[in-house]
Amino acid sequence: MQFLINATFIGSVYGLVALGLTLIFGVMQVADFAQGALYMLGAYVSFYLTNLAGLNYFLSLPAAMAAIAGVAVVNHLAVYRPLRRAGGATTFVAALGILLILQNGALWAFGADYRLIRSPFGDAKVLLGDSVITYHQLFIIGTTALLILAVWLFLQRTRVGKGLRAMSQNRDAAALVGINPDRVAAVTFALAGALAGVAGALVSPLRAFDPHIGALVILKSFAIVIFGGMGSISGALLGAFLVALAETMTAAYLAAEYADLIAFVLMIVVLFLRPQGLRGRPVAL
Amino acid sequence: MTALLALAAAAAAPFVFTSVAHQSLLVLIAINVILVASLDLLMGAAGLLSLGHAGFMGIGAYTSALLVFHRIAPFVLALPAAALAAATAGLFIGYPSLRLRHHYFVLVTFISGIILTLLFTSLVGVTRGPMGLPGIPFATLPLPGGVYTFNTFQSKVAYYFLALGLAAGTLWLRGRLMRGRLGVALAMIREDEDLAMAVGVNTHATKVLIFVVSTGLAGMAGSLYAHYTTFLSPETFTFVDSFNLFVMNMLGGAGTAAGPVVGPVILTVVRDALRSISPVLAEIAFGVFLIAVIAFLPAGLVGALQARRRREA
Repeated sequence: MQFLINATFIGSVYGLVALGLTLIFGVMQVADFAQGALYMLGAYVSFYLTNLAGLNYFLSLPAAMAAIAGVAVVNHLAVYRPLRRAGGATTFVAALGILLILQNGALWAFGADYRLIRSPFGDAKVLLGDSVITYHQLFIIGTTALLILAVWLFLQRTRVGKGLRAMSQNRDAAALVGINPDRVAAVTFALAGALAGVAGALVSPLRAFDPHIGALVILKSFAIVIFGGMGSISGALLGAFLVALAETMTAAYLAAEYADLIAFVLMIVVLFLRPQGLRGRPVAL
Repeated sequence: MTALLALAAAAAAPFVFTSVAHQSLLVLIAINVILVASLDLLMGAAGLLSLGHAGFMGIGAYTSALLVFHRIAPFVLALPAAALAAATAGLFIGYPSLRLRHHYFVLVTFISGIILTLLFTSLVGVTRGPMGLPGIPFATLPLPGGVYTFNTFQSKVAYYFLALGLAAGTLWLRGRLMRGRLGVALAMIREDEDLAMAVGVNTHATKVLIFVVSTGLAGMAGSLYAHYTTFLSPETFTFVDSFNLFVMNMLGGAGTAAGPVVGPVILTVVRDALRSISPVLAEIAFGVFLIAVIAFLPAGLVGALQARRRREA
């Protein structure tokens, strides 16, 4: 039971980042590593607003989403859009370039100290049978569920959302029927940035962070997206939960040192057995 | 002829740059040339993008360091053992993953590199993990007059010549391979893999072979690195370091004769100069540089020069 609780909570965080990553991949065919830096920046936005400016934590979340969505759009306009004719591997390298710039920019601006946001819930927890869950963990799981629902509704019900799905299915056909690829791409980056930013802001009252926090998060989310199927939304969410479950089990039964490895091992296994991922369409990459 | 002139210039370099800092850079450049030349066997010759090269370098570095550290083997045996260990890992990773095409192969190499770095970190009993492995013995060479020790703390010149010799050897091997039958087969695979298969090239075996050679050479470079710095840490072999090698190769020009020398020389010097100003700014600049190279110099410096000369002719 405790495993399931921990896996749901960790999986929520991975899920938010992986969701953004898979949306971008579907629309732009870019493995956007810079999302890791956006996750980190989201944590800093919330930290400065809450701990230093004294703003309510709950208000800092939408602020972080908006700010990071802005950064994501700037990344798109400054780097990905000019490079859109280049191959996938090239943009992949460019994404790492952005990650390095933002990560070290944060190091320069905010310093290397570990930070922790004050949780509005304090240490309050609930007992469920013999397992424990803190209010903050519950809040994260609930918020994630709401955000995923909102993204789903956005994709199913709105014009731009439908355009996004159309573009991820067939770019040229989408352009032919009058969908503006630039606009859809900008919206996708903004959406993914908002998700990564809020994920960073959500976790950071529970885990201390520094400017390097984003790298491992994005590597794992990336493994999750491959595991679930690139461009697949259900795959990313399922993958996030399964990887989180595998991690908590590894830490409990094997050794905590190996927990970080498990996502990548799962990903390699999936690549060999089912290269399109759990829920991906067979694609010729 | 150009190659001999370059070699002569490289041999004269430690007598021109006599400061310790400069000579240290020369050693690192020589090691990076081996790494980039071996990476180019994949990128330039075969069109296979590998983003986990630093991981294989790490296998070689740890293998060699531990063999000498625990007095199991002297340096002269540990160096080939390091190459062998990295090549074996290359075989295990390359054999299954080279059946995958294009992006999937790139992904597997990238993730393999990350797994290797995480292994260096988590196998604390063997590698001392994040604490790092200090006190690695200097390289030794049994000579007729006794055993010579490359004490790199006292003088870097002798070790530079060792690294230079191996770098020249690697470049020579690369030139030979690319001009020979294997090179032709690799070029066919690079241009059109299905066609290569259709005319009877065993594409999978060819790709595995070049991957094993490439990773083996990376392991050898790792051994050279280990006994030069005498300290190893998983942080030297991260995916950022793999990207660094990739960018060196891109900057020089993948597949060009001089590319694997030009790229490492420029980038090693520039990165060091920036680091001495501010490590954080150096990383930011590296990020900007990385994006600029792929945006404006996709064929690399040497490639761009060749294209320009062709246009003028």
